[in-house]
Amino acid sequence: MLAVFSVGVNGLAAPSPVLAELQVKMASVKSVYLEFTQERVLKLFSEPLKSDGVMLIERPAKIRWETTAPYQTILLGDKSSVAQFEFADGKWQKLKLGFPQLLQRVMQQMAALNSGNLAAMTDDYEVTVATNSETVLTLVPKDKMMRGMLSSLEIHLPPDLSGTREVVMNEPNGDLTRIIFRNEKHDATFPAKTFDQSKPLEIAAVQTAVKNAP
Amino acid sequence: MVAAGCATAPVSNHVVRPANRFPAEAFITERAVFNARGAQFPLNGYLALSAAGGKRLVVTENFGRVVADVLVKPDGTIFVMQSSRMFPATYIRYGIAVDLECLCGDSPPADCPLKMPGPNHFVIDRGTRYRLDLQILEIKPGAPPAELFDETKAEK
Repeated sequence: MLAVFSVGVNGLAAPSPVLAELQVKMASVKSVYLEFTQERVLKLFSEPLKSDGVMLIERPAKIRWETTAPYQTILLGDKSSVAQFEFADGKWQKLKLGFPQLLQRVMQQMAALNSGNLAAMTDDYEVTVATNSETVLTLVPKDKMMRGMLSSLEIHLPPDLSGTREVVMNEPNGDLTRIIFRNEKHDATFPAKTFDQSKPLEIAAVQTAVKNAP
Repeated sequence: MVAAGCATAPVSNHVVRPANRFPAEAFITERAVFNARGAQFPLNGYLALSAAGGKRLVVTENFGRVVADVLVKPDGTIFVMQSSRMFPATYIRYGIAVDLECLCGDSPPADCPLKMPGPNHFVIDRGTRYRLDLQILEIKPGAPPAELFDETKAEK
């Protein structure tokens, strides 16, 4: 399908039509449920540092990023605030976050990128697109200071742009973070308190509701 | 952020001086909450222990960015391998490295306010300065790669 956007033989495509297509596809999506494995690759260590979790997005701006193993933490964000909970000694504790504005900005950007938000991509990043067996959007921050921390961000999608397979964040020093997504579900109705920043619903209950959704 | 995986003393809410019965060679994964100035910062810690090489601790924040990296050689020499705005080099040298020795050193410093509320749970409470609440997630015994303990390979 994306072949129509391809130019030349190296799989590079003009980014605008692909981004527009992605935005059209995602425009009608009201919510996204994703499970993930995150691999933190530090060149210092021979093996990647792995964690597992779940990401939930509810339009327009609610996001829940939960790490379930090897430790448990919940990050919750919306347009105006962010909260984090840490599980220790058998109970959840809400943290008094040190830099909430920065964290909230990161969370909002994560939600925007995973929702195919065209403006979020093109306002802050130079975007190139490669289309072969999968579509890869490569985003390079326009801001020099940002490039000091993140040299590029790759978003891997299937050819029909129906979901996010993988996100890779490349750092200038060669370290990277790879997030591999699976079990993506669109338009699930999340139970009440899924995004509650005072006492969020346990993820098991959220998953049961998502699983049982029509 | 410290290397609490080194300690294996019984659970105690009193200050403890754990014996060094941890693996001499190991890779330890930690999760911690650093409390300072009324705020809390969740951190991950990755600690490599080597009898010959020393101790190498890498600390990352929420999204994996390295905020501190320190190498303590067997003779106690400290090398700050990477610092950050959150943890400047001075803080790493006189804070993190001291706490590392507090928990893992052959001769812990006298000022070592360590408590063990649970078998894998450690707290270093330095009063108004900071409080570190740390959980051990995994201990992988075995010798870490020798290059981890090469002080000439600090991040530029």
